[in-house]
Parts: sequence; C-alpha cells; structure tokens
Amino acid sequence: MTITPPPSSDATRLVTPAMLVLWLVLATVPLWIAKVGLYPYLGIEILIWSLYALAFNLVLGTAGLPSFGHGAYFGIGAYAFGLCQFNVVANLWVCLVAAFAVAGLAGALVALFISHRRGIYYAFMTIAFGQIFWTLAIKSHGITGGEDGLLKIARLPADFGVASFNLNDNVAFYYFVLVLFALAVMAMWRLTHSPYGRVVAAIKQSETRAAHLGYNVWIYKASIFTLSAAISGLAGGLFAMAQLAAFPDVMSLHQSGYVVMMTLVGGGLVSFWGPVVGVFVFLIARDVIGALTNAWMLYFGLLFIAIVLFRPEGIAGAVSAAFQKHSLIRRQGNSAMRLLFGGERWR
Amino acid sequence: MALIEAAGVHVRFGDRVVLESIDLAVPEGEFHGLMGPNGAGKTTFFNVLTGRVKPSRGKVRLDGKDVTGLSSHRIAAHGVARSFQIMTLFDEFSARENVTVGLPAFRARGFDMRHAAASDPGFAESALEILATVGLADKADVRAKDLSYGDRRALEIAVALAQSPRVLCLDEPTSGLGSDGVQRLAALVGRLKGKLTIVAIEHDMEFLFALADRISVIHWGQVVARGTPQELQQNEWVRRSNLGRFA
Amino acid sequence: MFDLLPHLLNGLTLGLLFALIALGFMLIVGLMEQINLAHGSLFALGAYFAMQLMGSRPPFPAELVKVWFAMPLGWRYAATLVIAPAAVGLVGIAIEFCMRRTYGKDPLYGLLLTFGAAMVIEETIRLVWGTRDYVLQVPQAVSGGFLFGDLIWSTYRFYAAGISVAIIGVVWLVIEKTSFGATVKAGAHDSEIVRALGINLTRLRLLVFVLGTVLAAIAGIIVAPIWGIRPHMGVDAVIPAFLVIVLGGVGSFWGAVVAGLLVGLCVGLSGAYASEWSLLSMYILLVAVVTFRARGLWGKKSVLEA
Repeated sequence: MTITPPPSSDATRLVTPAMLVLWLVLATVPLWIAKVGLYPYLGIEILIWSLYALAFNLVLGTAGLPSFGHGAYFGIGAYAFGLCQFNVVANLWVCLVAAFAVAGLAGALVALFISHRRGIYYAFMTIAFGQIFWTLAIKSHGITGGEDGLLKIARLPADFGVASFNLNDNVAFYYFVLVLFALAVMAMWRLTHSPYGRVVAAIKQSETRAAHLGYNVWIYKASIFTLSAAISGLAGGLFAMAQLAAFPDVMSLHQSGYVVMMTLVGGGLVSFWGPVVGVFVFLIARDVIGALTNAWMLYFGLLFIAIVLFRPEGIAGAVSAAFQKHSLIRRQGNSAMRLLFGGERWR
Repeated sequence: MALIEAAGVHVRFGDRVVLESIDLAVPEGEFHGLMGPNGAGKTTFFNVLTGRVKPSRGKVRLDGKDVTGLSSHRIAAHGVARSFQIMTLFDEFSARENVTVGLPAFRARGFDMRHAAASDPGFAESALEILATVGLADKADVRAKDLSYGDRRALEIAVALAQSPRVLCLDEPTSGLGSDGVQRLAALVGRLKGKLTIVAIEHDMEFLFALADRISVIHWGQVVARGTPQELQQNEWVRRSNLGRFA
Repeated sequence: MFDLLPHLLNGLTLGLLFALIALGFMLIVGLMEQINLAHGSLFALGAYFAMQLMGSRPPFPAELVKVWFAMPLGWRYAATLVIAPAAVGLVGIAIEFCMRRTYGKDPLYGLLLTFGAAMVIEETIRLVWGTRDYVLQVPQAVSGGFLFGDLIWSTYRFYAAGISVAIIGVVWLVIEKTSFGATVKAGAHDSEIVRALGINLTRLRLLVFVLGTVLAAIAGIIVAPIWGIRPHMGVDAVIPAFLVIVLGGVGSFWGAVVAGLLVGLCVGLSGAYASEWSLLSMYILLVAVVTFRARGLWGKKSVLEA
C-alpha cells in the first residue's frame, strides 16, 4: 500500500522553493554561459521552449489529451506578434497580448470541433487541424511570407511608462523572457493546483465519473485546450522576437512532435517540471551532440525510443523513483526532491 | 408525489429494443430495489435515469420536473448521484480527493483558477466526514488505486454521497464483495435508508430483501413484477424464475 | 464536362495511390490497434532501397552485380519489387520487437515508439543518401506517355493505379478468404479469443506488423517515380495515410479504399481550380466528414478511443 504524502504545502504556494532556486540559477546564466562554450541565445531558446512545453503539458499531462498539432498555436502566436507589429501598433505589450489572444482564439475554434472526443481520434483531429494551420501559413504568401517567413520583426522596447528597456541585446532580452517565464510558471503552477486544475485532472482519470458528479466535461476540455493554446501563442510571440522573424516550420508535424518528445522525455506525465527538464536535455543535446556529429537527431531518436520502452515516466519520473528506492536518502532526499520536482506526486 | 419518476421509458439501440415502456415512481425516502437477470436492461435504465442514455420515448421526472434527455452533468447537478458496477474512481487521487471533487461546494468553485484547492480546509474536513461514514477515515490519504477491493467499493459510494444527493442510484454495490464486505455495506445502506431516496440494482437477494422497501423485477426490458419484499416472495413469476439464481 | 475528365482521372489515380499508401497503416491500426507513425519512413525506405537496387551501384557482391546487370531492366524491376520490401520487412521486425513492450499499455506508447523509430529511420536516410532528390528508374514499358483525345497521358500513372488495384485486391483476398485472415480478424488485438483458439499471438502480431511494413515499402516503390525520392517523402505519405484512415473509419477496409479515392478526387479537382490549396482541401474534407460522422465513414468502436 502506497501512502501519498499529505498534500504538500507547495500546492498552496504561489512561489515554491523550487521555483526560487530555478529562477536564481537561471538569472546567473548570462554570467557563465559563454564560459562553458555556449551562448546567451541558447538560454533564450530554452526559456521560450520551456514556456511552450509547460503550456503544452497542461493539455497532455494535466488533462491527458493527446494533442499532436500544438506547433500551430506556437506558430500562430509568432505570426500574430509580427503582424500586429506591422499592421496595428508597434507596442510590445499589445503585440504580446495579440499573440496570446489570437493563438487562444485559434485554440478555441479547434476546441469546438474536438472537445467531445477522446484518445486517438482526439490525436487525429489535432493533427488534422495542425496541418490546416501549417498549410495556411505556407500558402498565404501575402500575409505570412509563405516558406520564406515573416521577416524583419523587431524586438520592441519594453516600455513601463517611467522607464523603457531596449531588448535588442540578447542578455537584456534573456532577462525580459525570464521575467515573463517566471510569471507564467507561477500562473500555471497555481492553475494546476486550483479547483479548476484538479477537476481537469479528475476528468483525465474518468470522464464518466466527472460528468456524473455534475461537471460539464466538454467545457473543461475545451477551456484547458484554449488556455494551453494561448500560452503557447505567447511563447510563439517571444520566439518571433528572439528570431526577429516568424517561420512556418515550427507549425509542421515534426516540430509539433518535438514538443511532445521534450515533454515526455523530461517526465511531463508525472511532474510539473518534466517539460522544462525535457527542453533542457533536448536543446543542450542538440548543441552539444550537434557539434560533434550532424546526426544528432538520430541519437536523440534512439534515446527517445529507449525512454518510451524503459522509462515511460521520463527523466523526472526516473529521478523520483531513484529517490524513493533509497530510504536512507529519503529524509533529506524528499525535501530536495520536492525542491526539484514539485513535491507531491503530480498528476 | 414521487421524487424520481420514469414514465413509459423506451430505449432502442439500432433495431434492438433494450427497454420497453418502463414505469417507475420512487417516493422520497424510499429504498427501491431493481433486480432481474443479466442483460435485462437494468443498467441501461440507470443510464436513462442519470442522463447517460437518452430514451427513445418516455419521460424522466425529478421532483415533478421534466429532466428527460438532460446530459449527465445537469442531472447530477439536480441531485442525482450514482455509483458504478465497474468501479469508476479517480485512481491517481487519494480517497480524500476523490470525495472532495464530488462535493457540491467544490463543484461550485470548479472554474476557480486563482486559488489553491488545498488552501481551503473546509473541503478536506467535509471529505473526511464523508469518508468516516463509509469507514475510510483512516485511509483518506491512500491513492484510490492502492485501496483494497472492498475499500474501493466503499469509496464508490462515498464519492456519490459527497454530492449530498437527493436520489442515490447504486449499481450492484455488493458486486465482488465477500460476505464480510456485504455485511459492512448492508450496515452502511441501512444507516442511509430513510434519509435518502435510493434506487439500487442488486443481485444479492438477501441484501435486497432485507433492506428494500419495494422491489421491481425487470426482464426483457419490462417490469414483470413489483411490490414489497413480502409481496414478491408470493409472486408467481418470481418464484418460477427461481429467485435465488438470478445472479 | 470533358475539360474535367483529365482532372477526374488524375484524382482517381491519385486516390488509388492514397489507398495503397494507407493500406499497410490501416492493417496495423485495424488489426492490432496500434498507430504506426513510422509508416511514412518505411515507405520512404522502400523507395530508397529500390532506387539503390535499380541504380548503378546495387549493394551486392561483385559477382552478383554482373548477373544483376545481365538481366533485362524489366526483370530487375520485378526483382526489386520483391527484394526492397523484404528488406524493409526486416526493419519492421526490429520495430515490432521493440513494440512488444508497449502491448497492453496505452496505445499512446506505441505511437510514441514509432514516432521515435520514424525519426531514426529518417535521419539514417539523410546520413546514407543525403538530402538530394533521386529518381527511380522504371522499365520502358511503363514509362513515357501516350496520346488520347488530344491529351498526353502518363503511362506510369495508369500502371501505378493498376498495381494499386491489384495489391488492394490481393490484400482483401488474404484477409477475407484465407484462414490466416480469419485468425487475424478473430482478433490480433483480442488476445483472449486467439489464445483460446491455441494460436501463437506473438507470431500473429509479428506477421501483421511485417505485412503492414512490407505494404508500406511497396507503396513507396510504386509512388516514388511520381513524387520523386527525398528524405521528406515519408512525411508526405504518412499524413494522407492518416487522413484516409480517419476518414474511412478505423478498422474498415473498404472505408479506407473509398476514403482514399475521395481524398484523391478532392485533391485532384481542387488542384484543377486552385492548385495552391489542393493540399488544404483534404484536411477540410476530413474535418467536414468527421464533424458529422464521429468515427469516419464506416468506423467501428475501438479501444483506441478510451
């Protein structure tokens, strides 16, 4: 008989010790990243993809809905940011809100069609819609620039009224993304531990029971998908800033597959932080293995197969299992664990 | 007046008639048993009562109000709770959380995204109280999937009770329980009896005859006999079909 | 009306190719309830193997190469149609061996495993053959074109459509008319029945999976001369295969064939009027059908929905 620990106090916190540690470590990154042979832009990429993967995991991990076309919303956010900047107003906050809102709108539209479905048909439909958006992005030359991408997107200054920050420098932009990332993480942490989040987690385990307890399952599935799409769009908007352009390839089936891989490799099914772990491993592996051989995707593919076969709960799951095995370290270990992976078994 | 009432309920799946003109009126506070051979349509009837299946014809009324064809979450919100024959729990949640999600107060805050669910001690207390009534107070923090079979059956009922329902529909609550478990359950249902309106599908005759106020026998999608346990023991149809061997 | 005829014919031949591409995918999904995302990569692998065999440097020992080139082109092509799919079948065996660990779990794991396999195969293709385009040589008899009603028609398209019909027919016969098919239908996924019948379930699944991969490879060889051979061709194939299955309904043989034709016609006809958007038309067709018919045209309830 396994006894789950009493609901850890982390669940009620807005900022957990793990978050503080993570943010502090991340805040030092620009100081040493060049010294270990990497570059600040990688830090930006990691933050943006972590945000995207965390948003994606709201759907996959929290709600248990297999979405394989999530790149669409990331991409839509990127385009929305650029188009808003060119055609509406070149204000950073407006453009980021546009990225969030347009991607959320696209997500809501798709949710209308898919939220009464489950399992593989859900996956199929998300792929079909992902492909529709991808095709639209490629074919609408006039709006998106087609396969050439939407170029010359500017990193608008962060204007706070009293002070305005130029984000053209990668280090400045890194800190800007870090702040947004921290805020988004807090929001998502709270969301997953709120009554709403618990209901979504319950629906994942049994739609039937939840419906008979009086929950409108459809609304919950549709809303979590929409939220996830909107936050993915926000990440996409930041990505457009980072790249100074928006390209359709992030919307392809392949790239949508990568975010699934990152989330699962990291352990998104068992831990809140799984997606972040996965993004770190994926992107650093890309740069480190990629520097040694141009076949890094081959090795990553093999690693992925091995994880699906032997450690389907991912890296975070394996670490937590390892901790639980050694009862000696457990006492100190648990607090470290909680620090790292968010305390209670997270489902 | 009947609290829950079905009038002329027909259900067809394709060209197969599953329920044919079923009438049932359960007054407030009654314990009404449903029995009949497997495949007689009892669970389908439950599905009609709780909104899982839309009847092809006929009406379902709750406290005089027409609820026919409403979706399950609406009917649940009207105060109809059910347990499942095939255990349907939130397996990764603790027993306490299973019950918490069932609380109407929790449901009322179902779209609250701003506060932590665990920061409201009221939920945990209410949940613990309900767990205590089914004898699971000491296992509140055990994950549902790690509970023993008998405890899972008890949790099935606890989750339904959490809704503080007006009508409790139990689908074969003793299914798979040993005689100890059945006794425990009988004691629990005995305590609930009178406070709640209960409709229960059950194969265990001893259990049903000891507790039910009235019993309806369903066969081939129709009610073939109805009455108090005493009346039914005299009923020709029930005697002929060899009462004890329904299961 | 006559203006439309070429587009209709084009759509129909394309539809048959889509049905052929979807065939192996459909078998694995319908009979094993597993999604083989590596289908497209196996399809591409079939084309690359065939190209290597038909090219100037076949992967044989020196003596055999002499014998090989002594054969007429038609013979070599026929032999390639057997050897290349068989080689891909071996890769299929390897994947199925890995996949065994996921049976009985959430079908999501099979899907993820094959996604990983697809990545590995595609990267291997890039490593071995690079990213350039290749052309698959075909015998004279089926290449070139002919004149009919003032239009030039590609002989190969009709040959490919004919082969598709033949292969679809053979697979249907195998499933419906042989004892192997009966056993498989009794349930490669319903292990209880099969065990009760005393059939080796492990071998049965392996056979079904290998059959699916071999069909993917054959489709790749047939389609290659039309689409060209490049690393991305796998993705170009797996998406329509997906679509055809969902449209036709999981587990329905004729559903997949009809859906293939529908998608082909849709792409062919929209290609006539708005070629830019022909790709999009098939997704819209899918969304339209699936919105009204939850399980596609002839789908049955499946464990994959749980």
